[in-house]
Amino acid sequence: MAGFLQQIVTGLGAGAIYASLALALVLIYQFTGIVNFAQGELAMFSTYIAWTLVAAGVSFWLALVITLVVSFAGGMLIERIVIRPVEGAPELTIVIVTVGLFIFVNAAAGWIWTFLIKDFPNPFPGGALELGAVTVNFSTLGVLGVVGLVMGLLYLLFQHTKIGLGMRAVATNPASARLVGIRVGWTLALGWGLAATVGAVSGVLVAPLLFLEPNMMAGVLIYAFAAATLGGFDSPVGAVIGGLIVGVAETLAGAYVGFIGSDLKIGVPLLIILAVLLLRPQGLFGRAAVERA
Amino acid sequence: MSDLVVDGLVAGYGDVRVLHGVSFGVKQGEVCAILGPNGAGKTTLLRALSGMVRTRGTATLGGTELAGRSPDTVARLGVAHVPEGRGTFMPLTVEDNLRLGAFVRRGRAEIEADLDRIFTYFPVLKTRLKQEAGSLSGGEQQMLALGRALMLRPRLLLLDEPSLGLAPLVTRELFRIVQAINAEEQTTVVVVEQNAHLALGIAQQAHVLETGRIVLSGTAEEIRADEQVAQSYLGYRV
Repeated sequence: MAGFLQQIVTGLGAGAIYASLALALVLIYQFTGIVNFAQGELAMFSTYIAWTLVAAGVSFWLALVITLVVSFAGGMLIERIVIRPVEGAPELTIVIVTVGLFIFVNAAAGWIWTFLIKDFPNPFPGGALELGAVTVNFSTLGVLGVVGLVMGLLYLLFQHTKIGLGMRAVATNPASARLVGIRVGWTLALGWGLAATVGAVSGVLVAPLLFLEPNMMAGVLIYAFAAATLGGFDSPVGAVIGGLIVGVAETLAGAYVGFIGSDLKIGVPLLIILAVLLLRPQGLFGRAAVERA
Repeated sequence: MSDLVVDGLVAGYGDVRVLHGVSFGVKQGEVCAILGPNGAGKTTLLRALSGMVRTRGTATLGGTELAGRSPDTVARLGVAHVPEGRGTFMPLTVEDNLRLGAFVRRGRAEIEADLDRIFTYFPVLKTRLKQEAGSLSGGEQQMLALGRALMLRPRLLLLDEPSLGLAPLVTRELFRIVQAINAEEQTTVVVVEQNAHLALGIAQQAHVLETGRIVLSGTAEEIRADEQVAQSYLGYRV
């Protein structure tokens, strides 16, 4: 039993990271209907910025703040320069553009920082909390706490600020949002900036657990897709809960389903994606596309 | 002296031209009805005024050019457009929808006061504040759309087919409220409507649009008395 609970705790820790990247995916999808395949690479790039600052002697938390600000600006800039020209183009066009962005950002990171792996400092203390027979690492707690904090801040932004209200309006009915005077173009850019910032948090949380290298986020992105699909691509809450479920499912499958082990674990998100698309395409918390006329 | 002056307005979608040089004026505080058959360009005319389609020609409100500006800029100039389909933010609450109407305004106290004012016109909205707008009936959604438009404190109100899809009784009630709003707020109104009876009932001036051109203009009484209009849009002979 203790072993089982231990696996769940480990799964939640991994799940929180998937949740944070899924949150970034969902943010952009909500505003623009775009699935941003480059989200993980942007997070990776942001993490390199943090690493560079830390390597130059900046304290971790200051480096984090600078990284988040730079990521926000970078996300907005990408929307203006790369996405804006294909706004309203067929979905396939936009998918190809974000895949192109994926490759470009990946290559740019390799070019700037090389493909040699780098050590990334863990911001959380090394010890662990003993709860009976279950051990919870402080870093797991830290990751869960940070993701919870990000969720809370996003909730406040969307539900209790005027900018958030405007963003929700753009997400649900851009034409009507324009008619009440909202500058939709800038709001979309804001959404990309926000997503890039949330993604950066995700990258910085992953990096100490894996190693920092340009392909660091590739696996995480697949789990994040599973999380967003499971929770519903239009539901931030769903993305987080989906992330936690995917993390736990993956860990349990790896531990208890003999033939899966640690090698086939990456197959778990694929199964989740397939099952959700077959059984409940809108996800657990998503809104089916039915409305009263 | 007209407040809204439209002169030689041309508009369309892509290569398809829908309006071929429309000119008319509306005095401050008056209601102007635009009548005409399906496909005459009535909706496009409103869209041209609020910047939703590309235009040539001019349309000025109190001397400020509207034509060629983006919808968000036109809204900031005091034009509230209740579009075809009502433009409801379906998953958002009724309250959010109303507050969005005042998005470009400053002054919290005034906005709160305006909310209360809107509840005097539409008491039903007050009882549904926290409800999803998409769950309202068609008539309630049309009231919400009007309320949202009023939250801008518009100088010019553009209404696109407010009667569409509503029961006759609900429609009459709605037009009564539009008339009250126009009288109390001195808001200039341009209303596009297939139901000519209702529109002429609240309008001072009216224009008949056919295939992108104004073919007949006059006071509401003159238009109502016109034999051809009577046959085509009112359904009876004078």
